[in-house]
Amino acid sequence: MATYIARRLLLLPLVAFGVTLLIFALLQFLTPAERAALFVTDPRQLSSIPAIIRKYGLDQPIHVQYWVWLKQLLHGDLGWSQTARMPTSQALATFFPATLELTFYMFIPIIIIGVWLGTRAAVHKDQIVDHFSRIFAISLRGLPSFVWGLIVLMVFYGGLNWFPPGRLSLEADLFVKSPEFHRFTRIMTVDALLNGQPWIFVDALRHIAGPAMTLVLVEMALLVRVTRSSMLEVLRQDYVRTARAKGLAEPVVINRHARKNALIPVVTLSSLLFVGLLGGVVLAETIFNYPGIGKWGAEAAVQLDIPGVTGFGMFIALITVFGNLAADILYATIDPRIRLQ
Amino acid sequence: MVSVIRLTLSRSTSPQVLRVAGAALIVLVAVMAAAPVVRGRVVQHPLDVAAFLLLVVAVGVFWSLPGDFTRRMKRNPLSIAGFSIIVLFVMVAALAPVLAAPPATSRDPYLIPHAGFLPDPQPPRPGHPLGTTGYQYDLYYGVVWGTRTAFRVATVVVVISVAAGLLLGSLSGFYGGRLDEVIMRITDIFLAFPSLVLAVVITAVLGKGLDKVMLSIAIVGWPVYARLLRGEILSVKQRDYVEAARAAGAGDLRIILQHVVPNTIYPFLVYAAFDTGVIVLVAAALSFLGLGAEVGYADWGQLINMSRSWILGVPGDPFIYWYTVVFPGLVIFLFVLGWNLLGDAFRDILDPRLRGSA
Amino acid sequence: MSFKRRLLMLLVFTLAVALTGVNGVAQGQAVKNPDTLIIQSFGDPESLDPSWAYDTASSGTFLWNVYETLIFFVGGRTDLYEPMLATGVPSVANGGISADGKTYTFKIRPGVKFHDGNVMTPEDVRYSLMRFMLVDRDGGPSWILLAAILGFDTQSTRDDNGKLLPDIWDRVNQAIQVKGDTVVITLKDPYAPFLNIMASWSMVVSKKFVVKNGGWDGAKTIVAKYNNPEKPDAQELFDKGAGTGPFKLDSWDRGTGNITLSRFTDYWRAPAKLSRIVIQKVEEFGPRRLALQNGDADIIDVSRADQPAVTGISGVRIVDDLAQLVNSPSLFMNLNISAEGNPDVGSGKLDGNGVPPNFFSDIHVRRAFAYLFDRQAFIDQALRGKGRLANGPIPYGMLGYNPRGKWYEVSKDKAVAEFKEAWGGQVWNNGFKFSVLYNSGNVARQTGSQMLKEATESLNPKFKIDTRGVTWSSYLGLMNQKKLPMFFIGWAADYADPDNFTVPFMHSTGTYPGRQSYKNPEADRLIEQAGKETDAKKREALYFRVQEIAYQDVPTIYIVYPTAFVAMRAWVKGWYHNPIFFQPWNYAYRLSKGQ
Repeated sequence: MATYIARRLLLLPLVAFGVTLLIFALLQFLTPAERAALFVTDPRQLSSIPAIIRKYGLDQPIHVQYWVWLKQLLHGDLGWSQTARMPTSQALATFFPATLELTFYMFIPIIIIGVWLGTRAAVHKDQIVDHFSRIFAISLRGLPSFVWGLIVLMVFYGGLNWFPPGRLSLEADLFVKSPEFHRFTRIMTVDALLNGQPWIFVDALRHIAGPAMTLVLVEMALLVRVTRSSMLEVLRQDYVRTARAKGLAEPVVINRHARKNALIPVVTLSSLLFVGLLGGVVLAETIFNYPGIGKWGAEAAVQLDIPGVTGFGMFIALITVFGNLAADILYATIDPRIRLQ
Repeated sequence: MVSVIRLTLSRSTSPQVLRVAGAALIVLVAVMAAAPVVRGRVVQHPLDVAAFLLLVVAVGVFWSLPGDFTRRMKRNPLSIAGFSIIVLFVMVAALAPVLAAPPATSRDPYLIPHAGFLPDPQPPRPGHPLGTTGYQYDLYYGVVWGTRTAFRVATVVVVISVAAGLLLGSLSGFYGGRLDEVIMRITDIFLAFPSLVLAVVITAVLGKGLDKVMLSIAIVGWPVYARLLRGEILSVKQRDYVEAARAAGAGDLRIILQHVVPNTIYPFLVYAAFDTGVIVLVAAALSFLGLGAEVGYADWGQLINMSRSWILGVPGDPFIYWYTVVFPGLVIFLFVLGWNLLGDAFRDILDPRLRGSA
Repeated sequence: MSFKRRLLMLLVFTLAVALTGVNGVAQGQAVKNPDTLIIQSFGDPESLDPSWAYDTASSGTFLWNVYETLIFFVGGRTDLYEPMLATGVPSVANGGISADGKTYTFKIRPGVKFHDGNVMTPEDVRYSLMRFMLVDRDGGPSWILLAAILGFDTQSTRDDNGKLLPDIWDRVNQAIQVKGDTVVITLKDPYAPFLNIMASWSMVVSKKFVVKNGGWDGAKTIVAKYNNPEKPDAQELFDKGAGTGPFKLDSWDRGTGNITLSRFTDYWRAPAKLSRIVIQKVEEFGPRRLALQNGDADIIDVSRADQPAVTGISGVRIVDDLAQLVNSPSLFMNLNISAEGNPDVGSGKLDGNGVPPNFFSDIHVRRAFAYLFDRQAFIDQALRGKGRLANGPIPYGMLGYNPRGKWYEVSKDKAVAEFKEAWGGQVWNNGFKFSVLYNSGNVARQTGSQMLKEATESLNPKFKIDTRGVTWSSYLGLMNQKKLPMFFIGWAADYADPDNFTVPFMHSTGTYPGRQSYKNPEADRLIEQAGKETDAKKREALYFRVQEIAYQDVPTIYIVYPTAFVAMRAWVKGWYHNPIFFQPWNYAYRLSKGQ
């Protein structure tokens, strides 16, 4: 196990640099002038394009540019993110906690509803409940998340005014910026409680609710499907048949024997889901103007903010590797049949 | 046409449903053919109509095949639903020029015709049965031709991904060792990057256009296929028949193509079916971020993205532009639903572990 | 089961109420956040340092709210000034402008306090102007003062190799002098727009504040260190500042994009009525609109296309038909396209599958397109009819705009006739193919491209135009490489003077002629002469002749002078418009909230 973990950790730098190299390679499809134009915002600045090319060495061969970037990195400098209006490292530190928080709050309902629906579907395979829950889950997945997002926004902000977009309301934002408020973790709900300000906690939750609800609707389908098929497989296992044969009541069989084992792949999937959600939040964060890492990453990508998108890619790659590792370890811990090697 | 009729009349065509459906289809085609407008269009696009008829026959033949596959398929109403939805979409795609004739002056039938450029959508009316979305693009035309686009995007992406996945995955799984290590680390890199953001970078670099969208989705998609195949090959490789083939002196390529791949292909099929639904959604997401197909190109993702300004309606009347959301939304939804149901059906049927459980 | 059903009914009921009740805060209801003006905008500033910022979001935030200028515009006028940080507006009559039109004397207002508590001195004014000129980052606004003061040839503080000019500090230092309680600025050549430039670009910052935060102290020896900074946050005024304006900069939270300004109580006039301004960055229109509807925002950005979505919300006021100093979009033709590896010119030959690089150098081709493009239809559809037909570079209402200036009428017959004459008839017989590009996301330009395509292709089946949307940076990059055969783009004023329109549109060294290889020595001469001419009547006559050349040569099809509108809560009081304002909240001093 230890060697396995060590080997996976060795992957980290490889993946991280692979990702950045990938982006650098992609950018070679643009001419130096086009890359220089990324630094200007207006045609009246066109005459400075040659100066910008010279300043950033944009006409250098790719390996030279990559080497310059690497040297910068060694000094802990990920470069200036044009879209975030701050250094890339600071942008990661600013946007990631917000998304982490959002992911956490939508993760819980996804798991609960997903497992519940998935189990019911499997137990009642090919019956109405099964058809209904599958179609329900697929239906929600069947529309782009921004459509759901706009509908949620219209109902719960435009109509009911329960879940406003953004991160905090005006009063809460002003209080958080005041010296009375200490930012311990940058995770707003946690900081609010640590500061003894439950109203800020509630305010932050209200702003998280919209994007979270949207993504719960959309991302649940996968979990329903995995739980269902995993459950189906378990239900055919000998020990379940034995339990049934012993005459145990069906709920006992389902809850005690079957579900516990069926949840193994679900648990594995969950940690992957957590990582997947980090990339899946892009559209919801944009619609709800939630200042998270997904919204920034997409904006940086659309505008080809090179330092921004490389920093973002590297960071998410690291998180993904850790997430996968966690999934593997979790898997091995829960299921003694699995050996990591 | 003849075979449809024969199939309908033939006693051996087993399920009653099929016969009724066949009869209905014949009546429908007859009625439509009677209308001079339709007749004109049919004459103009003989190839498309031929493809459509061929398809009808193919579906009929497939459905009446006595095999285990179809038998299991027919048992599950959801599988039937999924199958029917997809068949319906294929038919619409084949008949697109008949259902929605491109204007005579059009250079590219995929460009949605529009009258003027008024920004506000207009409701369904004669000539525009589903209304027109922002900038007066005809929704009906867009939905019909968008079906072709959807299949084209899905097919191209899946074919590229599968080809790359097959090649690299089988090399990796079959030979193992250092080659396996290199290929797997490359897939690690691709999988570690959030696919939507990577696709955005690629399209942002390459520029707008459907071909770029397809390429970028394929580039982010292939590693999953490679991984899938590698895993399957690893488990199949040790099986007796492969050993036997090797002992018989078969070459590597032959073993891969004749023994390993056919035995590992089913998770591919299942995954590709699910993936097809997802691809349309990813294309829509790219459109949302401003990087989709060219404006005015018949593409569902673009149509639904155009509706984004209209979902909220106008003050006091939130549903005034319902048609801009409902129609493109409905086709995307049905398309995704169809492929998901079909994927589920494939898995239930093909996965040997699940056999006998139904 | 009955519980579940009841729950379901409750849910349905709530949704029904929610959907039908989307009408927002009605008029007559209490004012939300009565002392705070909340603005939701789709963009955010690049920097809050006046010497770096050259985008509307930045200038719209700090200009006249945080930083003030020596003189200011009277009401909605762009050619009439009132004193601001100077005590008078210089003129030849009051001796503020010398007889030769080169020397301007500004008497600096005494007792004005900066936000950091220091009192403004003439030295602060001199320092602010020098700093603005000498920071000169690549693509920054410094050229405006450099060219105005040091002469048309001095557009930068660096030579072509990026080296700081050794004498630049001396020249700037020489040109701007403190004499007693005045600041005297000596121009190299007389320059008519100078007062206008001073009204927008003479923002005064506290020298002590800048120096205290590690900024340039004004010395010659270290000017190179502060010239052309690499990153915006290398500058001390990037996210903080001390000006003299009615509001001070509290914070710029770049995580959320929110900027908070608060009332400056020691302001030299009566303090502002609002106690706070919050400018929030909201990129999506949906949430912006709902915020306006719910009263959570007082002013929001709305595009012309989205106008119906904010029309008719009770308690929301829309002010339309606002004049702008804008000429956009115009259709530019490239007289010498760079064809190397350029997919947009097809085969690169006049064989029906492409165009030669000098395709548009034939005047008949340009005139044909000018006759062909239906400008009024474009205005009616893409701009909802809001805008006036253009006839040249200078916007309607500005000095030099010729109300009787001629332009091409829409005529298919004349377009066909011109096409038949072009390239000795080859154009009409062989046909052509090229691409019109626009930056994706800009709906007006995209609509224009498509209208042009459809009009052209309807003339002759051999005429083929593709429309292609590219990202904004690719668009600028390709434009700079002279690869765009035909492109839509526009211009918004840096300062309210015809000079700022004729140079970029018609002077061979200007922004666009340089990219379309257009040069007319006569036009160059007229524009340079008009810049130095201080007599308004004579200037006007010169600009009329420039318009005539623009019509005769037609390198660019001028389309429209668009008007703007603003959507705000009706409880916002004291709002007025000046075409020079970059944003509707550019001068929030007079704004208040109340019934």
